[in-house]
Order: sequence, then structure tokens, then C-alpha cells
Amino acid sequence: MTTTSTVKNGAGGATARRAFLSRWFDPDDTTLAVLLFLPAAILLGVMIVYPVSRLIYTSFLDLSLTSGLPARFAGLANFRQMPDDPVFWQATWNTVLITLITVPGSLVVGFALALLANLPFQMKWPVRLSLLIPWALPLSFAGLIFGWFFHSEYGVVNDVLNRIGLPTVIWFNSPRLAFAAICLAIIWKASSFMAMIILAGLQTIPRSLYEAADVDGAGRVRQFFEITLPLLKPTIVVALIFRTITALQTFDIPYMMTGGGPGTETATLAMYIHQNTVSFLDLGYGSALAVVMFGLSMLVTALYLRMIRSSGAAS
Amino acid sequence: MSVARISKMAGWLFGCAAFAFATGAAAETNLKVFVTSQGQPGIWRTLLDQYEARNPGVKVSIELGGTTSDLQAQYLNTVLTAKDSSLDVLMLDVIRPAQFAAAGWTSPIASDMSSYLRAYAEANTVDGKVVALPAFADSMFLYYRKDLLDKYRLQPPKTWDELADAAKKVADGEKNPNLQGLSFQGKAIEGAVCTFLVPYWSQGKVVTKDGKLDFDRDAATKSLALWKGFADSGVAKKNIAEVATDDTRKEFQAGNVLFAVNWAYAWAMSQGAESAVAGKVGVARLPAVKGGEQATCLGGWEWGVSALSKNQEEAKKLVAYLSSPEVSKYVAINGSLLPTYGTLYKDTDVTKAVPWFADAQAIVETAKPRPVTPRYNEVSEAIRTTVNAVLAGATTPADGAAQIEARLKRIIR
Repeated sequence: MTTTSTVKNGAGGATARRAFLSRWFDPDDTTLAVLLFLPAAILLGVMIVYPVSRLIYTSFLDLSLTSGLPARFAGLANFRQMPDDPVFWQATWNTVLITLITVPGSLVVGFALALLANLPFQMKWPVRLSLLIPWALPLSFAGLIFGWFFHSEYGVVNDVLNRIGLPTVIWFNSPRLAFAAICLAIIWKASSFMAMIILAGLQTIPRSLYEAADVDGAGRVRQFFEITLPLLKPTIVVALIFRTITALQTFDIPYMMTGGGPGTETATLAMYIHQNTVSFLDLGYGSALAVVMFGLSMLVTALYLRMIRSSGAAS
Repeated sequence: MSVARISKMAGWLFGCAAFAFATGAAAETNLKVFVTSQGQPGIWRTLLDQYEARNPGVKVSIELGGTTSDLQAQYLNTVLTAKDSSLDVLMLDVIRPAQFAAAGWTSPIASDMSSYLRAYAEANTVDGKVVALPAFADSMFLYYRKDLLDKYRLQPPKTWDELADAAKKVADGEKNPNLQGLSFQGKAIEGAVCTFLVPYWSQGKVVTKDGKLDFDRDAATKSLALWKGFADSGVAKKNIAEVATDDTRKEFQAGNVLFAVNWAYAWAMSQGAESAVAGKVGVARLPAVKGGEQATCLGGWEWGVSALSKNQEEAKKLVAYLSSPEVSKYVAINGSLLPTYGTLYKDTDVTKAVPWFADAQAIVETAKPRPVTPRYNEVSEAIRTTVNAVLAGATTPADGAAQIEARLKRIIR
């Protein structure tokens, strides 16, 4: 009895409020649509459209704080500077290489970790906690730790090598070894993120599918390729988009581990942008480089989205 | 209580709070000083405590940032580009006052510079205006183990070749695998710029003349080859490309280095309670290349007043104190930071605490400044990353010299 009356009162209240509101404010459908869309549009404008347009605008300026001169429109001068800039090419190539190595690397390791965490352990939390720790660690801190690990004198890696009778390696003297050490650190850091997303995907797959497969006599391997992998495809693509974009923006780990060294052999595009803007105070060129990186990220995202669409059409 | 009364009371209360806040702020000036973390902040804190005691109503806090000169510059670049007014006084590496003044980040200070050492009076004067005041002088010196040189009857080397020979002789005699012949800065930090310039200058060459690039590629190749040679021949250790300024200081202090290239600050610590080499340290002029002149890099730090500071007058007063002869003497004795006043080099209190300062004035006075340009950060980057790449073995000295030349041509036109 009480319940019904509350509902009735509540409904009555709502009706009265609506009547009151409509006296003051009675938009047609189009206006309402525009109004409902407005908060999102404002948010998008403030958070994305303005900063990006500002960035693109700055990339056309000759704006260097060390020159003491006011900003001047320079057209495409900043972009024309890039083809002749060897550090730009090196940094871009390093960034692409880091992406090509660490994205598949962290996917494979992350997948394995997710499968491990999905096993029917009695105690699930220690496994999941250990998955979470590398992800929760700040990037620069991870870089710092791995920098210590690979330090030629004090590092644990050389200590292990020496203990098993191998010679000391000066990791950061060799561009290749320094690069490998950086990729290893990134894979370590990024795998747990991949694992968590994939683990979430794994848990949405109904157990009944595997039970049915068991009845039909399908082995574990076949179950993996026929059930797990196809059903995880959308999850994997989402994880890959996130990972690829962060890989293109790689900064902290190489910055802390090698500072881009030896020389500029392990510098990334994000580090080069930072250097031009923060150290050299050349905001025009730095912005132009950032526009290039932004374009690269957009391109990659578009490719992935296309992949999702085509895979969606196939299934 | 009527609405009008409540609002009246609220207004009254608000007024009181604002008044209290305003008078509180007027009674006390809070200044924030940016000090480099390797610039011995503890010593400056003591001096700031004294300043606070003498100036009631002024509170000074220290902000630390970055472990190397370039990281500190990056930090200040970020803060000042963002027009942040929280820092009032900035400790700046001697290479930066010109650059900060060009960016409009420091306020001009009215001061007579004639009592300071000439190099610092010049480094802090831009277009006839004093843009910062000297904190302490510095230059690179050769630290050596007096006990070991005495043991093998060796003199402090006058040329880099003599140094290599001495290192070899001591290494052969000592048979201590932990003892390095020479430690210097090979990491891609500001110190590596000096690493490059010292033998380059020693050959009588300059980087810029009348603001134009005057680069000698052969001399640059020889300079890079000299340092790489030390690493290859085992005089310096193989991972020298990982070594920063304070690594050199720590290793020398631990007794693992025969010769070390370092700044004046390393002295006080090498004589401290935690030093394995207290009483066994000698300091000399940096060696020359064969047939060349002995040359060294001018260092030192300056006090600038941030143009964005809201306490201009108080900040300038504080800077004048921090740059005074009294403070210069205190930091010379307690931190082995070289004085910026010529007279203090003969002061008996100073020479008692740091005996080698008696001979240091001549060295500081002949030390060469790094290229002066508002685009110094780019110059520095081009040189230090190349030094690092050569020492790591990623580039040859000849290629490295060509790279430096190509990059400097784009920067200094």
C-alpha cells in the first residue's frame, strides 16, 4: 500500500514538474537535440579541438623564445626543415622500430600472462596483483629501474652475466644493445596492461562453449584457435590501438634509461619534440614535429578502425 | 534573522578575513630561491637562515630541481615559459644569464661589477645591463692522488701524454684492478661540452669569433680522439660514456681514481669524513695537448632575479646579499666554492681551509667561457651528444667532428 502511494506521489511530482518546466521551456526536437549535444561539443572543443588547432597554428609560426623576436608567420618553413634534419629521421625511425617491436612483443607476453591469470587458481588475487604492479608503476620510474638494471658496473644484468661466467657488457655503449634494453623495459611495462585487457576479454567467453567443445572431443589447442582467439579478436584490436598509440609516443623509458644515447641513437620522436620545445625553446619547430606525430597516430588509429570494421563485416 | 542581516554579517566577516589576509601578507615576504641540487643547498640554507634572522619579516625557502645543469635549465625553461611567478631568485649556470636575459626572464639589477673577477662581471652583463650577480666562480681542475704520485716519484702532468704515462706507471705498480687512471665526464651532460672544449682550446682554436662560427675540424677530431684514446688504452674505464660529473667525484673520493677532471666543489667533499682520500689529494691545472697551451673551462653559478617575481625589491636585496664578499668567503671556506672576488683568494681564512685556492685565481682568470649565444642549448646538445657517441664507440672521432661542425653551422650563422 505504502509502496504504491509513494510511486504515485513520485510520478505525480514528476508530471507536475514537467508541466512547470514546459511552461518556461518547451523546445522542439531539433533544439533539444542540439542542447543535448552541446555539453559534449563544448567538452570536445575545449579538450581536443582547441589544443589541436592551436598546435597546428603554432607549427606555422617562427616562434623561438631564444631569438628574442616576436612570433612570425612562417608558412611551411618548419615542415621544410624536417627532411634535412638527420635527428628527425633517426628519432622517427627509432619510434617506428619501437612500435614494431614492442607492440607485438607486449601482445604475445600479455596474452600469455592473461592465459596464466585465467587458469583456475584457488588464490586469484596474488596473480592479478602481480599483473597490476608493472602497470601501476610510473613510466619514468620503470625507466629509472631498468636504467639501473643495465648499468654496466652496478647493474643486476651484468652481475648475473658475470656469475654465469660471461663477460661484462656495456649496454649503453652500443646503439643496438641500448635499443634492445629499452624495448625489453617497454615490453615488461606494457605487457601487464595488455594482459589485463585480454583477461577481461577472456572472462566474457562463456564456459559452456569449452564444455561443448570438450564433448565434441576438441583438444586444448583446437579450442584455443577455434573459440578463444576468434572471440577475443575485438578485445585484442582495442588493446592494440591503445598500445600502438602509446608506443608512438614513447618518451619516459628511453629518456630515463639512455637519454637518447649513445649520441642520439635511441632518441624517439617524443623526446625530440620535448628537446626542441623545452630545451631549445623552439616552439614552432617543436609544434611542427608534434603535428607529424599526431598525424602518425591518426593514421595508425584509422588503419585499426578499418581492421575492426572489416573483421566485423566478416563475422 | 532577516536575509539582509545575514548577508550583511557575511560581508563583514568576509571583509575581516580579507583584511587579516592582506595585513598578514604585508607583514611577511616569502621568497623562493631555486638552488641547484649539486650546488650544496645545505650551505645556502645556513646563509639564508642568517639572512632571515637579520631581516625580520622575510622568509626564504629553497626549491631544488634537477641533478645536472641541463636538467635544471629544462626545469626553469618550463616554469618560466608558463609564466609561473612562484620563483623569485634563480641560481643559474654561468652559460645562462645571456640566454635568460634574451628571453626576458631576469630583471636587470643595479650593481657595480668592478670588484668581481672580470669573467663574471662580463658573463652577467648583457648589452650594458647587469642581469645577474655572481654566486661562486669555478673552473675545471685536475685532481690527483698526491700519495700515489709521490710513491712513484711523479710530478703532476703538464700534458695529457704525461698523464697517460703516469697512469700507466702507477697501474703497473699498484696492480689494483679497481684503480682507474683518469675519470672525466663522458655522459651526454653539460660537463661533456667542457670535456670536448678543453683539448680543443689547448690547440689554440676557438669555436666562435665575433659571434661567427670559427670551427676547426682537425682540432675537434684530435680532441675527440684524445678522450677516446684514454678509454681504448685503459687509462679511463670502458664505460666512460656513462660517467657524469658527480660519478667522477664519488669514484675519486672512494679512492678508485688516480687523476680526475672536476670542478672546485669536489675538494670539500674529498676532505670530508666520508672520504677515503682525505689529505692525499692534490689539485693542478688541466694538462695541455702536446705543444699546446694549458686551457680550462670557465664555470660558476650566478644569482638572477626572476622577471616574473612579485617581490622584485626584496629579491634584489637578497641577491645582493648572496653575492656579497661575506657570503663568497663563507662558501669558499665551507663548500670549497671558488670566490668571485679576487681579494678573497689571498684571504688567510680561505687559504687555510682550501690551500690550493691561493693558486686558483690565475687559473680561473684564464679559463675560457663556452660559446656565448642565446641558442647555447642547441650548441651544447650538438657537442655533448657527439662526445657521448664517440666515447661509446658509436661514432668515430672524425665523423663526430664533422657532425659537430654540421650542426653548429645550422645554429650559429
